[in-house]
Amino acid sequence: MNPSPATRFLAILSLTNLILPILVVVPMSFSAASSLSFPPPGLSLRWYRSFFESEAWLDAMVMSLALATISSTLGVILGSLAAYGLRRRNFNLKNVLEGNFMAPVILPSIITAVALYIALGRIGMLGTLTGLVVAHTLLVVPYVIVVMVVAIKSFDIRLEQVAWTMGASWFTTVRRVVIPLLAPNIAAAWIFAFVHSFDEVVVTSFIAGTYETIPKKMFSELILEISPTITSVASLLIGFTILCLMTAIWIQRLGKVSAAR
Amino acid sequence: MDRGASTLGPRAAGTQPRSRGWKAALPFVGPLLVLVVLGFNGPILLIVNYSFSAAGTYSFVNYQELAATPVFLRVIGNTFRITVLTTFVVAVLGYILAYWITSLSERTRNIVLALVVVTFWVSVLVRTYAWIVVLGNAGLVNRTLLWAGAIDAPIAFLYNDLGVIIGMANIQMPLLILPLYAAMIKVDQRHLQAAASLGASERTIFWRVFFPQTIPALASSVMLVVILCLGFYVTPAILGGGRVPMVANMLDTYINSIPRWELASAVSIVLLLFTLALFMIYRRLDKWASGEEA
Repeated sequence: MNPSPATRFLAILSLTNLILPILVVVPMSFSAASSLSFPPPGLSLRWYRSFFESEAWLDAMVMSLALATISSTLGVILGSLAAYGLRRRNFNLKNVLEGNFMAPVILPSIITAVALYIALGRIGMLGTLTGLVVAHTLLVVPYVIVVMVVAIKSFDIRLEQVAWTMGASWFTTVRRVVIPLLAPNIAAAWIFAFVHSFDEVVVTSFIAGTYETIPKKMFSELILEISPTITSVASLLIGFTILCLMTAIWIQRLGKVSAAR
Repeated sequence: MDRGASTLGPRAAGTQPRSRGWKAALPFVGPLLVLVVLGFNGPILLIVNYSFSAAGTYSFVNYQELAATPVFLRVIGNTFRITVLTTFVVAVLGYILAYWITSLSERTRNIVLALVVVTFWVSVLVRTYAWIVVLGNAGLVNRTLLWAGAIDAPIAFLYNDLGVIIGMANIQMPLLILPLYAAMIKVDQRHLQAAASLGASERTIFWRVFFPQTIPALASSVMLVVILCLGFYVTPAILGGGRVPMVANMLDTYINSIPRWELASAVSIVLLLFTLALFMIYRRLDKWASGEEA
């Protein structure tokens, strides 16, 4: 079936709408003008300079990178273990447990934000790094579980059974057989988790207190006053996201090729 | 199959009885369970508790206060209106886009799909921010229209319903396109050919043969968009500029501006129940969608 010209027109229109934000933000970040206007009257790197010369933005970047690194590492350890348990063990209420693990991303993050704000406020842990790490880990774990459950499903259980029958302990089996074979998926899950933590804004804005992350700072600037520095931050984020996504896809493909050999 | 065989069924094939299962599973799921109980279930139970407590006793006072607050009712109405309109826009445009993608050559198709996936991954903040540049009074759209002489004064796209709907639709679109596209390519081409050979027009083939086969996937992804719209916070806050309050923005007010934890808790629980109910429907529809494909 061939779409009619009207269908084609509407389709291209909505595709344009979809990618418009990226098409507009990136050229704007190289603007030489001091106000937001498109197309930019001249080109310069002044907004990138203004980002890299701003201590507040750099501090926020360091904080975001640190928080995302810690949370995604914790998330991958806890999430991979849980995915293994969910796939390889059979127990009562397994689906309920899985639903519970996924709940932080199923529910609107504003609910998690309010609940954590009140809970952390009660125990005097608002604006602490521990609170942030717990929150971010909870929010990235579901993505890890989704990736790892699929990976473990396609992983031949007989490889583990062979290791056991050869006398390997459970720990050795995991260390020498399971982890090496799942390494590409673990790496991809880590990247997905990292990107999600790095982008998280709702819960962070509620519970971070005086800590600034890149999204939190962006969000508050977008509500109060908009400086063109944000265009460079946004463009850097777009580049960074695409880079992460491509790396994750590349690693997973690499894993499939080596598994097929 | 007789009853004896059915009781022997899957359990006999399993390696261990279910009651022993938890012991064997605990080393794996236990650590995460501790974190989820402390960091998520606990806080959620705490706000359930808060929502029912008033002056040291348990009652429905907070919920009654909400129901008697005109602002709350207006915000609920607002949230539903924006959600319905956004979902409608996403469903129509998303369906058309997904349909168009299936008609493309493989090379173009992969490029377009890659673009959709990339936008899905780019931060919501970035995608929201761009609309300020595009739709603002001195933005791309208004300047083009002014330059072309189509309008005399800039149109107010931002800080009203229109801006919020445009921004939210943009963000939810990939969530609908990707599952819908997956369902569309699974439609058996022979059905369409059979209809054509029997003399059906293109329009009839689409509406009577193709479209019905994509309804389950459309329904489940529409439900997903509704769920995500209801609790949306960032985009309405930025593009609505406080003039298009949705439930999530009201929560922000009850926490950060005029602290009323019991009311914030009650609003959260209302939103939570709505979301859970819709999620159950989504699960049903999703099962229907994958059942039809099999």
